[in-house]
Amino acid sequence: MEQFAVTTIIPLHLGGYDVSFTKQSLWMCIVVSAITLFMIAATSRRSLVPGRMQSMAEISYEFVANMIGTAAGEDGLRFFPFVFTLFMFVLFSNFLGLLPGSFTVTSQIVVTFSLAAFVVGMVIVVGFMRHGIGFLKLFVPHAPWYLLGLLVPIEFISFLTRPISLSVRLFANMLAGHTLLKVFASFVIALGGAGGLLSLLSIAPFFLIVAITALELLVAFLQAYVFAILTCIYLNEGLHLHEHH
Amino acid sequence: MSAPEPKDLRKLGDRLDAFQRANEARHKTPPPSSAGIALRFSTEMVAGLIVGGGIGYGIDWLAGTKPIFLIVFFVLGAAAGILNVVRAAKELNAEMSAKKDGD
Repeated sequence: MEQFAVTTIIPLHLGGYDVSFTKQSLWMCIVVSAITLFMIAATSRRSLVPGRMQSMAEISYEFVANMIGTAAGEDGLRFFPFVFTLFMFVLFSNFLGLLPGSFTVTSQIVVTFSLAAFVVGMVIVVGFMRHGIGFLKLFVPHAPWYLLGLLVPIEFISFLTRPISLSVRLFANMLAGHTLLKVFASFVIALGGAGGLLSLLSIAPFFLIVAITALELLVAFLQAYVFAILTCIYLNEGLHLHEHH
Repeated sequence: MSAPEPKDLRKLGDRLDAFQRANEARHKTPPPSSAGIALRFSTEMVAGLIVGGGIGYGIDWLAGTKPIFLIVFFVLGAAAGILNVVRAAKELNAEMSAKKDGD
């Protein structure tokens, strides 16, 4: 579908690789600038009694800080900048993608998978830095020894599924939402063009689109939240080696 | 100017507490929709199969033992997928019952 197509804006080739500046790159730049502008505008006044912008920034700060505190513990707060950046990036990508005519960065599996792979890679690095070789205990469940030969590979595969399920969840939600909007929008056009009494009916899918857009706003926030909280939960395992029960 | 009566202050504090408590429920994240749950479980399951199959295929490709490892790891992947779904369901269960207790 047209709104998911990645088109090249400035063609660039470097050492045999296609590194063109695409619609994707453009919208990532827009997302990052929007976040930066929002945070700069919100923190420029720094009044004791916050205004609207400052409140929004403070609420998002506290929201993420609480999330890390409950999901990853106090020492997880060292990763606050990382989780906050991730949360804001996904949130703004999802929200900006809802604007008509825009491009949803998170509806591309490459983007979400890179983010998820980075998260899991970081958990592995943090785990090995914290616990050394003891991090591998994560793959050894409480079980009789004769079952470990079977259970350790299963745990290992289960660990490796994380980047996939994390990225596919975000990607699929965004893709499904936008596809749904497009399908209902095409109903409006088809019914409107049908003429006569049918044209009047085209108002029904139109109202449905309005309702679905509201729902998509919720999904956009919820998916950013899920992505961030799962990052915290995985970080927690890297930090504290919580065993599964 | 006379200072406000302590009784008034206490009343105000109580009202603020009540307001906060009433608002707390609103600020909690909404429960996941059925479609969201279904999507979550299915991605967990399919991810297990993909990773297991991928590892098996990779080993076969390296060792030239098609299709022994593909079969073995596909089964292990299915087991990992089921494990993931069970864990996700447990999490969700704990979340839901915690929410119910909070009401």
